[in-house]
Amino acid sequence: MEKITSVREWSVAIRINHWAMALSIFILIVTGLYIASPFTLAKGETVSKFFMGNVRYAHILFGVILLFLFIWRVYLAFFSRFHADWKDFLAWTNIKNFIHQIKFYLLITKEGPEYKTLYGPLQSLAYIGLLFMVFVICVTGLILMGAGYHTGFTYVAATILRPVENLLGGLAMIRYIHHIFTWFFILFIVVHIYMAFWYDAVLKKGTVSSMISGNIFKRVKE
Amino acid sequence: MAKGNHSDYKKMIDRQYKDLMKHCQEHMEQVEKNLPESTDDLHEMLRARGISRREFVKWTSAITAALMLPPIFRPMVAKAAENFSRLPIVWLHFAECTGCSEAFLRSSYPNVDDILLETISLEYHETLMAASGYQAEQNLEKAIHDFAGKFICVIEGALPRGLDGKYLTLGPKGKTGIQVAKEVTSKAAAVICIGSCSAFGNIQAANPNPTDSVSISKALGISTVNIAGCPPNSVNFTGTLLHYLMFGGLPALDSLGRPVWAYGKRIHDYCERRPHYDASEFVEEWGDAAALKGWCLYKVGCKGPYTYANCGKVRFNDGISWPIMAGHGCIGCTEPGFWDTMAPLEKPLPDKSYGGGEKTVDKIGIALTGVAAAGIAAHAVASAIRHRKDDRINTEEEKHD
Repeated sequence: MEKITSVREWSVAIRINHWAMALSIFILIVTGLYIASPFTLAKGETVSKFFMGNVRYAHILFGVILLFLFIWRVYLAFFSRFHADWKDFLAWTNIKNFIHQIKFYLLITKEGPEYKTLYGPLQSLAYIGLLFMVFVICVTGLILMGAGYHTGFTYVAATILRPVENLLGGLAMIRYIHHIFTWFFILFIVVHIYMAFWYDAVLKKGTVSSMISGNIFKRVKE
Repeated sequence: MAKGNHSDYKKMIDRQYKDLMKHCQEHMEQVEKNLPESTDDLHEMLRARGISRREFVKWTSAITAALMLPPIFRPMVAKAAENFSRLPIVWLHFAECTGCSEAFLRSSYPNVDDILLETISLEYHETLMAASGYQAEQNLEKAIHDFAGKFICVIEGALPRGLDGKYLTLGPKGKTGIQVAKEVTSKAAAVICIGSCSAFGNIQAANPNPTDSVSISKALGISTVNIAGCPPNSVNFTGTLLHYLMFGGLPALDSLGRPVWAYGKRIHDYCERRPHYDASEFVEEWGDAAALKGWCLYKVGCKGPYTYANCGKVRFNDGISWPIMAGHGCIGCTEPGFWDTMAPLEKPLPDKSYGGGEKTVDKIGIALTGVAAAGIAAHAVASAIRHRKDDRINTEEEKHD
C-alpha cells in the first residue's frame, strides 16, 4: 500500500531568502526599467517633484538588499545547518541524468531521472546561472551606485571595483551590461515560474507550495 | 567624536599642510635656482591685456581651491604662475586635429589661464614655431639635450601602430610617430597627454581602427598624466603644471591617469540640470517645451552619468558656458573609447542597435520573452496531452486499492 508523507525540503532561511530575493528582483526590474527609459512628469513645479529620485532610492535600497541576500544564499549553500546544498549545484555533472532530464522536459519520456540531489541536472545549471546573474548585476550595480558617492560603503566598494570598471570599458559599458542582464532576469522568471507549476502538475509533489510550507510530498510504500 | 580627538585631528591636518607648505617653498626656491630665467614678466603681460592685480588674485584663489589646497597656498600659486615660463616644454603633435592647441590659444576674452599658456616656454611646438624642416628638427634635438630630465613633454594625438607606425611619419627624416615619441619621452621629466587622443586613442582608435592607433601610454608602455577631453579644459592643464611647479611632482591621479582634482567627480553629480533629472523632467526631443525650460537631457542621450570631468564647475571660454548648459547632452569625451562605448551620442545607451538596424537590446529582450511565452504555451498544451493519462492510472490504482 502506498502512503503519502510530507518531507521537509526547504529550511526557513532558504524560504525567506527565496521570497525576499523574488520581491527585490521584481522591484528592481520595475524601477530599473523606469530608470532606463523614464517618462516625463510635466505637471507641477520642479521643486515639488522627486519621482526619479524616489525610484532611484528604491532601486538602490533593494539593490543593496539583493547583494546581502546573495551573500546570505551563498553562505547557506556552504554552512546551512539544515542542508548545505553546494554539492547539489553540481547535479549537472551527471551526463546520463542530464540527457534523461532533457528527454523528460521534451516529453519524450514520461518519467524523469532519479536523483538524490536537491536539484535536477538542468535545474542545478539554471540556479548556478541565476547566482551568476545576481553576482554580475550586483557588481555592476555597485559600480554604478558608487560613482555618485564620495564617502561611505558604496564609495569603498566602487573604489575596489574601479579596475573592473576600467577593464569593461567605463561606466557606459557597465550600465549597458547591467541593462542586458535585466532581460536575462525577466527571461529566467518567466521560465522559472512555468517550470515550478509544470513540476507541480506533472509530478504532483506540491512543488509550488513547498517554497511556502517548506514541505514536499512523497509516496512511500508501506 | 570627542572634542579632544577633534583638536588632535585638526592639529594633524595643520601639521600636514605646514609640512606641505615647507616642501612647496623649498621646491620653489629650487626652481628659481635651477630653471632658466623667465622670458616674460607675467604681471606686465597681464596689465597689457587689461587684467588688474585684483583679478589675478581672484584667479589664484580659484586655482588654489580647484587644486584642493587651503587658502594659505594662494601666494604660492601666484609665485608658481610668475615662474610658469621657466618650465621648458616640448609639445608634440601626432595623429590628431590640433583642436586642443586651438582650444587653448583662442578665446574671446583671454583670462589668466590663456595668458599663462602664452608665456609658456615652448621649446618646440609644431604648429606655433617659425622653424621648419631640418631647423625644426634641430630645435627639438637641442631642447631635449639642453633640458634633459627637466622638461615637460606635452603630447597631443594618438600613435598609429599599423604598418610599423608608418601611418604617421614626421619631419624631414621621416621618423615615425612612435620613434619620435620614444626619443622625447625617454628624456622628459614628465609626460602630459593633452586631449583624449593621446590619453586614450579617441576617434583614431575607435572601431574599426584601421591604423591600429592607441594612446601614448599603451604605445610606449609608460605612465602618463592624462588631461582627457575633446578638447580638455585649459584650467585642467595649467592647474596640473602649476601643481608640478609648486611641489615638484604630479598631482594625485585616478586609475586612468587623470588628475583626481579635475576628473574625480561625475558630470551628472554636478550638473545644473540634475534637479530636473530627479524630478523626472526630461527633454523628449530637440526644441520641445521642456528644452526651452532647460530640463534634463538624459533622454536625448546625455552621457553625463557615465563621465568623470569638471566641465560643469569650471566651464569653457572664460566660464561662459559648457555643452550641457548650451542645450546638448554630454558625449562623454573624457572617457576611454567614448566613440564606441557612448554611442549613440544623441540617444540613451539602451538604444544602441545591432547590425546597423533597429535591433536594440529592449526589442531583442521583448522578442525573446515573447518566444519564451509562446514556447511555454505550446509546451503546456503538449504536456497536458502527454501526461493526461497519468491521472487515470492513479485513479485506477486507487480503485484497485
